[in-house]
Amino acid sequence: MFDGLVAFGHSLASFFDPISIGIILLASLAGVVVGALPGLTATMGVALMTTLTIKMPPSQALLVLICTYVGAIYGGSRSAILLNIPGTPASAASCLDGHALAKQGMAGRAMGIATSGSVLGTLIGMLFLATFTPVLGDLALKFGAYEFFWLALFGVIIAGTLTGDDPLKGWIAGLLGIFAACVGQEAIFAYDRFSFGSRDLAGGFNLVPALVGAFGFAELLSAVRERAGPVKINPFDSVIPKVRDVVAHWRTIIRSGLIGTFIGILPGVGEDVAAWSSYAAAKRASKEPEKFGRGSIDGLMAAETGDNACVPGAIIPVLTLGIPGSAPAAVLMAAMLIHGVRPGPMIMVEAPTFVYDVVAMMMYATLGILLYGLTLTKLLIKVLSVPKAVILPIIFVLCVVGSFAIASRLFDVWVMLGFGILGYILRRRKYPIAPLVLGMVLGDLMEKGFRRGLVLSDGSLEPFFTRPISAVLWITIVLVILLKFEGVRRLFRRRKVAPA
Amino acid sequence: MSVPLHPVSPRGELREAFVWIAVGALVVFMAWRMDRMTHQGAEIYTAPGLWPGLVGLAIAILGGVLAWRSLARARASSWTAAEPDAADYAPTSNFVIAGALFFIYALLLVGHGLPFWLGTALFVTVYVFVFRRAERLAGARSGSPRGDIVFALVCGVCTAVAVTLVFERVFFVRLP
Repeated sequence: MFDGLVAFGHSLASFFDPISIGIILLASLAGVVVGALPGLTATMGVALMTTLTIKMPPSQALLVLICTYVGAIYGGSRSAILLNIPGTPASAASCLDGHALAKQGMAGRAMGIATSGSVLGTLIGMLFLATFTPVLGDLALKFGAYEFFWLALFGVIIAGTLTGDDPLKGWIAGLLGIFAACVGQEAIFAYDRFSFGSRDLAGGFNLVPALVGAFGFAELLSAVRERAGPVKINPFDSVIPKVRDVVAHWRTIIRSGLIGTFIGILPGVGEDVAAWSSYAAAKRASKEPEKFGRGSIDGLMAAETGDNACVPGAIIPVLTLGIPGSAPAAVLMAAMLIHGVRPGPMIMVEAPTFVYDVVAMMMYATLGILLYGLTLTKLLIKVLSVPKAVILPIIFVLCVVGSFAIASRLFDVWVMLGFGILGYILRRRKYPIAPLVLGMVLGDLMEKGFRRGLVLSDGSLEPFFTRPISAVLWITIVLVILLKFEGVRRLFRRRKVAPA
Repeated sequence: MSVPLHPVSPRGELREAFVWIAVGALVVFMAWRMDRMTHQGAEIYTAPGLWPGLVGLAIAILGGVLAWRSLARARASSWTAAEPDAADYAPTSNFVIAGALFFIYALLLVGHGLPFWLGTALFVTVYVFVFRRAERLAGARSGSPRGDIVFALVCGVCTAVAVTLVFERVFFVRLP
């Protein structure tokens, strides 16, 4: 307990220098601006920042990425409140009550609620990040090839189930991601798969250009396709959070913080589900549910606390299992690997202080959003007024440069374009993109788990189903899939009714 | 499988299903034809094609489920669905022009001898000019053609200089 506190203190002190403070201020600002601009998501922001920080020392690069991630999730609330357009999907729930408050002339109060909810949500998630990660890390040491196979599959299935409107399409997107991870040399015999004689393809798809394409370029194409309405911003009052708003809603804050963190820990689910789940739970618990959607402070507080608590939550499985809890966390994990940090069960053995470094980075990122929450409103309104015709080409330049920067090869720019087109088509056909990303990130882990497991068991599938943790995982996966079929749900309902 | 509420028609969904079945079958076929490495003493369960073959099979099966669901939807209602409101979308010409400019920049202007800053300045200037002009002609804002050109040029030059300086001088990243 005290060792952890001492390590956290050391980590906090290690970032207390002018360069790190400058990085925190700039990266949090970049995150808030990216999050506030409709069409630019946290995943895209973290992916672009990964390419920008490729030459930086690992600790500084990760500081940039975590500040961007936290800032972007918070920043989305600004456009949700002021424009009724969620800056990121995570802020969609905030539109309902945030914009309703803005229309009642309380935009400033709504932004204050968003700031206090986001800060407290991140702090609750951070507490769990600091305390749960070592415990989960110890548990993860018991995981073998079989368990990692099921866990990775669980991540893709759950992302497919919860991140879109249609689980079937989510699972197909996840499988496409897993297939994309098969391209290139496989691990046992270095055999070229699906490379068609191309030396570039034999190396496989570099994750960051693919993510920049699937999230960045695809989003640009969607933004071009959509008609932009005139930007109309409501007048606003003071943005300073009110103590009474926090004190009166302490139950909502704690409940949403816990829900957000838990959803973050679930592999691949992400901030938008956390926000909606927290919102729904707050509405159920509220004495005035009819106010939800009409300017409920409770609703806005729940959504903002939930999505920000999800950020530290999503980093917990990254650090302990090497499995991301959300799409931006998947990019963060890819960045950790690029910078030589190996997240996974061995992290508490190989680099136990790293976890506290991440908690300290999160703490500074929280201070960053608090600072900008109190001061940045007028500048953000100016940014939100910049026409799409100016923003889009600049973002595309960053997508091209960022993709090239990873390995200095034009092939990665083509990968970005290819995944951008694929992402755009999938999005138009209502396929969620998060499972595709999870599939790409986890495909390699899944295949290694599957093949290693078969080698260890001499070709027998039995251990995949009989080992205790494996059994829990595969039964959960089967239940998650089966419960999405109407016939199975009907059967369950009938069995429930039968005894009566 | 429960049917979600979305505007994709059963006919469109059936077409998608055939695409996935074809993709899955192709992946299985290619995986089947991969070397099984038996000359290196490999067992069937370590064959390089086993995993992608299973993934391809799963894609084809889910494609089949999608086909079955779209047929069920068509039987329950009709083959078509309510079209999305055209007012939500920008004109198709905007999309085609923007897409063409994106591809010209990424495939031709960058990495083929033209200095990065010049290619970037050209791309941003043309993009901003074309879409600002379209906005003005559509009556969305006032202004003059000369004003559009100057504004686009300022955007192009500023972007090129800022991106070049920030990436090359501050972050030491190589540019295309």
